[in-house]
Amino acid sequence: MTPSEVLSRGIARENPTAVLLLGLCPAAAVSVRVIDSLWMSAGVFSVMLLSSFCMALVARGRMDKGEIGPGAAAGGWLGALVLSSFLTASFELVLLSVAPEASAALGIYAPLIAVNCLVLTVIGESSRASSPGRALLDAAGKGAGFAACLLLIGVLREVLGAGTITLFPLPGFSGTFVIGSLAHDPARAFGFAGGGLLCLGYLAALARAVKERRL
Amino acid sequence: MSWVGIILIFALVDNVILSRLLGIYPRVGGAGKMRAALSIGVSTAVLMGISALAGWAIDALVLDPLQLGFLRTPAFVLSVAGLAFFLEAMAARLSPVLVRGSGFSLPGVAINCATLGIVLITTRGGYTAAESLIAGLAAGLGFMLVRVLMGAISERLEIERIPRALRGFPLELISAGLMAYAFMAFDRAFLARILGG
Repeated sequence: MTPSEVLSRGIARENPTAVLLLGLCPAAAVSVRVIDSLWMSAGVFSVMLLSSFCMALVARGRMDKGEIGPGAAAGGWLGALVLSSFLTASFELVLLSVAPEASAALGIYAPLIAVNCLVLTVIGESSRASSPGRALLDAAGKGAGFAACLLLIGVLREVLGAGTITLFPLPGFSGTFVIGSLAHDPARAFGFAGGGLLCLGYLAALARAVKERRL
Repeated sequence: MSWVGIILIFALVDNVILSRLLGIYPRVGGAGKMRAALSIGVSTAVLMGISALAGWAIDALVLDPLQLGFLRTPAFVLSVAGLAFFLEAMAARLSPVLVRGSGFSLPGVAINCATLGIVLITTRGGYTAAESLIAGLAAGLGFMLVRVLMGAISERLEIERIPRALRGFPLELISAGLMAYAFMAFDRAFLARILGG
């Protein structure tokens, strides 16, 4: 499989959120605003990328020493938990120093990246990857797929639920686009917890319908 | 806050699945079997209660005095995982048939975000040891309630004619979303009314 195929597989055919149904809790919980979706995507992406690379390096080292054969898992899920929890704690510290308001907005969902089932699944797969580079590529594809879904749900929920799109503030730009009539009379239900679950449900159904039509 | 208030908040108002959106994974309804949902719910409630108490102890007795707050996430993750292993080993010794028959593992529950989420909520909320334990157990009770309701809905949906794309987990998510709107009736104003505060 070529590198571009590995990348596109994670984004489309094996999209972690819409197709594999992994990492659903943050996808539903933080996608009330686009900017929160972007920060959460950045967290999951960076933790997943670094932990996959580290786990693949450990696997390569143990394979070179002859401790495990090719394709065997380098460490159990406890190893994956230790790795992901320390990397998540590092991400929390970086986020707190770079964007304290984003850290407050993500709340308990930032530390929960450590036990995100998508992150743990990808770490488990990377310990069986043929090379650290391939593990990194696979994690990047899945991370991009997760980010794409989170962004889609975030845009949908914020536009329909508040009539705005909140991005990063810049000099001369408050960071918020207001969408005329929608902002005056939004469908607030999309901003509640139930809205997140409804969006995820319809997204999963749409992904399944597209997959079945392709087959 | 009174203990009744804590129980109502964690079980209904801030329900771990429908309000906090934690612990959502395929087969949220326990494979359409209410009995399985009940057994998973009870085990999760026990794990959540003990984990919340352990989280309080780690935070108040170790991390805060030593100013190691930046190690909260790894400390909580590893303590919840360790507790799950310990509880499962104990359950396997006390009732091996029940553990084998239930077909699910506590370590699996430990690494879903619901348990860690409750530990984080109780430690950040500044609850005492007893309040953390009660909050954890109440959150587990709320988790069990939603799983049993979802199990009942799944069983009912199995006999309905449903478009193929929506069958199974997508429809369970949509049902959970509608249930979340219904649970919004349990808000803090409702709580104040029934507690007379």
